[in-house]
Amino acid sequence: MNMLKSWKFWAVMAGITGLMGLFAFGFTKDPRKVPSPLVGKPAPGFSLVDINTGEQLSNETLKGTPYILNFWASWCVACRTEARVLEHAFQRYWKGQQLFRVIGIAIQDTPEKARAFARNFGKTYYLALDNESGDIALNYGLYGVPESFFVDAEGVIRYKEIGPVTPRSVEEIMVPVAKKLPYTVPE
Amino acid sequence: MYSADMMFSGFRFKAIRSGARAGTGVTARSAALLVAVLLLAGLLNAGPALAQMLSGEALDAEVRRISDGLRCPTCQGISVNDSDASFSNQIKDKVRRMLMEGQNEEQIRAYFVSRYGEWILRAPKKEGLGLVLWVLPGLLMLVIGFWVGYKVYTNTRENIEEQQQELSQPQDDKSGLTTEQLQRIEKDLKRYEELD
Repeated sequence: MNMLKSWKFWAVMAGITGLMGLFAFGFTKDPRKVPSPLVGKPAPGFSLVDINTGEQLSNETLKGTPYILNFWASWCVACRTEARVLEHAFQRYWKGQQLFRVIGIAIQDTPEKARAFARNFGKTYYLALDNESGDIALNYGLYGVPESFFVDAEGVIRYKEIGPVTPRSVEEIMVPVAKKLPYTVPE
Repeated sequence: MYSADMMFSGFRFKAIRSGARAGTGVTARSAALLVAVLLLAGLLNAGPALAQMLSGEALDAEVRRISDGLRCPTCQGISVNDSDASFSNQIKDKVRRMLMEGQNEEQIRAYFVSRYGEWILRAPKKEGLGLVLWVLPGLLMLVIGFWVGYKVYTNTRENIEEQQQELSQPQDDKSGLTTEQLQRIEKDLKRYEELD
């Protein structure tokens, strides 16, 4: 009973409760989701060459067109799951509606392996390769693959997705951004 | 050896020969002085950049030192320098190239922070909330140190005072106990006898 009257007891209890609260708060956050400082800023510049057609493309030539910039690799297992989602988005929203483009940049990869992956998983959209130094990947602050950015018509990054692109993020974030409609990024 | 004055007199001679008015020599000297000062200022300004133009082992050491302050993006809790992951190697290569271009550590760190955020730095910045993180452990240690010191001091003083008090009291010659202690023992013994 005397213990309950001691300020030391309550100080220790307050400390323990505070620490437990801090841990509980930490568990509600996904440690993989680190906010990118690039969102809301102009997309870093790049210059690409299509691995299939040789078509050249840069962030400057893309001004006026929204696009998904998807970083992937032939050795990346998770990239297989998003391949069809991206191809579907390309077919529907670029080929069908001219709403936004899909651009894939393979990192730490070879043209042969990237082409073989694209053939196996039916990728027909624009595919290029980062250089050996990984300049584009570093400029975009990549943690790994797959990672994707959605860039609006003004060339500003509006959204970053860590992990495979999902149909939900295409429909609920990328399409509204391209159409200049309101959207919310899920927590 | 040419003195500065001889050099400046050359300017003056040229100015007089070209038919300039009297006093142009002074103007030429001022101009030469101004050029010299500007050159010196330019050199001083370029100093830090030139100092960064490293090569060989010095460059390797600087790459290691800066990479040690960057977090490996694909690993768990280790620095870019300690990691052999592809991303870490590309970051090390980028640091090397930036150093060779004459950029300093601050510029290199700023580049990575602009791409990855503060997360990429292994040590928080010594400003804003980061400063609190730097100061707090030291402040806590200081408070705990003061508290422990205060406790040790007061306990020691109390002990000394108690001992002095005990020593100042009259003691029984045979037992070495104080009168107060003897009285307490006798009182306790009486209580035991009463219980019996």
